[in-house]
Amino acid sequence: MNHASIEKSIPLMAILTLLVVAIGGLVEIVPLFYLKSTIEKVEGMRPYTPLELKGRDIYIREGCYNCHSQMIRPFRDEDQRYGHYSLAAESMYDHPFQWGSKRTGPDLARVGGKYSSLWHQAHMRRPKDVAPESVMPSYPWLEKTELDFADVGKRMEALAKVGVPYSREQITHAANDLKTQAGLNGELQGLQQRYGKRVTIGEREPGNHPITELDALIGYLQMLGTLVDFSVPQPQAR
Amino acid sequence: MSEEKEVETTGHQWDEDEGYPLKEFNNPLPRWWLYSFYGTIVWAVIYWIFYPAWPLVTDYTRGLLGWSMHRQLDEELAQARALQKPFNDRLEKMGLAEITHDPQMLQYAVAGGKSIFGDNCAPCHGNGGTGSKSGGFPVLVDDDWLISGTIEGIANTITHGHVAMMPAHQKEYGGSFDAKQVDDLTQFVLSLSGQGGNKEAQARGAALFKGEAGCRHCHGDLGKGSARDTLDGAPMEKSIGAPNLTDAIWLYGSDEATVRQSIAKGRSGRMPAWGMGTEGTNHKLPPLAIKQVAVYVHSLGGGQ
Repeated sequence: MNHASIEKSIPLMAILTLLVVAIGGLVEIVPLFYLKSTIEKVEGMRPYTPLELKGRDIYIREGCYNCHSQMIRPFRDEDQRYGHYSLAAESMYDHPFQWGSKRTGPDLARVGGKYSSLWHQAHMRRPKDVAPESVMPSYPWLEKTELDFADVGKRMEALAKVGVPYSREQITHAANDLKTQAGLNGELQGLQQRYGKRVTIGEREPGNHPITELDALIGYLQMLGTLVDFSVPQPQAR
Repeated sequence: MSEEKEVETTGHQWDEDEGYPLKEFNNPLPRWWLYSFYGTIVWAVIYWIFYPAWPLVTDYTRGLLGWSMHRQLDEELAQARALQKPFNDRLEKMGLAEITHDPQMLQYAVAGGKSIFGDNCAPCHGNGGTGSKSGGFPVLVDDDWLISGTIEGIANTITHGHVAMMPAHQKEYGGSFDAKQVDDLTQFVLSLSGQGGNKEAQARGAALFKGEAGCRHCHGDLGKGSARDTLDGAPMEKSIGAPNLTDAIWLYGSDEATVRQSIAKGRSGRMPAWGMGTEGTNHKLPPLAIKQVAVYVHSLGGGQ
């Protein structure tokens, strides 16, 4: 083709420019959707429970990702501090993922179970109380704000539309499961039947008080990194 | 414009009408730049051959060196383990008390224990074990131990964790006493450490403490805590971990409001179990790490 005819036709020029620019993207991005090593599933991953899902929404709302990553890189120092490096499959139900790119605070990918819920409560109230050198702001309103979970079933339906395998049963029981996990009623069996054994039940102070946003956030944090059992070798872990 | 004669033009020419025709020079690229560019192309081809590069249908080209980030990590971890192995092997065979008598191994265990403590324990117990009242996290640098301050006892607490079982006493929070009785109990508990002044309330509280409220079953006949008190004259089960109420050391605070809250609502402080046998999370410490942390905590000053 004559160079002059490309230069003189704007549509042709635009199409060919797009093609050339797209090559880089195609080569770098498209393989991630089909290469075995990037889409391999690992055992233990499950969609978030309703309480974890609400907690995750609060995590995003408060902008936790601005200072905390959820991505452990395969380096010795990170391995020894945070544990096994993150697998792609561990973010498979994240819309959007919370990998983050800045670590003013520590990585949270495996923070679940590391601290007691009581510690999280004290820490959210005033981080300096438990870590005097911390620069994290206080989030005292979380434990004073009642959790609005009327929409949790709808949120699950929306996620199901983009590929998170929530079953009809899970969506119908959403509000109930949320209460159970927050420690409000005792139908543990149903919750575990729907989400598996690795569900952390919230610790509640005695007395009749509502489920707070902090309960949900802690529910989410206590789940992070606990779903995949790394004491048995995982397919991606090589 | 002497250059005009030396350099070729691209043949394009504009604005002839103006009398100053614009011409586009076709200057050759600087040699150093051109050869650097060719160099990067050659480098890329070599890189493709030796390192992972091109995506294929189901896999990708792995490169002749077989390098991968994950393998490099494995190698680095193996290397670090190999360096530590002679020490760890000795540490594994040694009893906890034995370690404290071997200066070299003590140094090794304390150094390792310190870094493990910093990552896993310091968030609650503070850097260096200074504790925090905000969540009732005990101080580890003093000699007041809830369960046991021996090196074996410390290792045991780290492995199995501990859950406080202080129940709520006030009716509103699930207990069986009214607000007035909780006030009386509070006055009595304060008096154990020489605080508070309401003698009548203290007497009523004392009766509750020893009778109906059952406090002595965990805190002991004299309220000195399960680690050192007696129950009906017999030694108590130390694993209860009920604190001494007669001294000046407080988990949550010594003021009236805090003590009252502890009695009214109960406390459920939780030390996680760090032993490998416990289910739930990936944050478990191998036995060797627990040994190191126990030695470190014991060395902080209050070890018995």
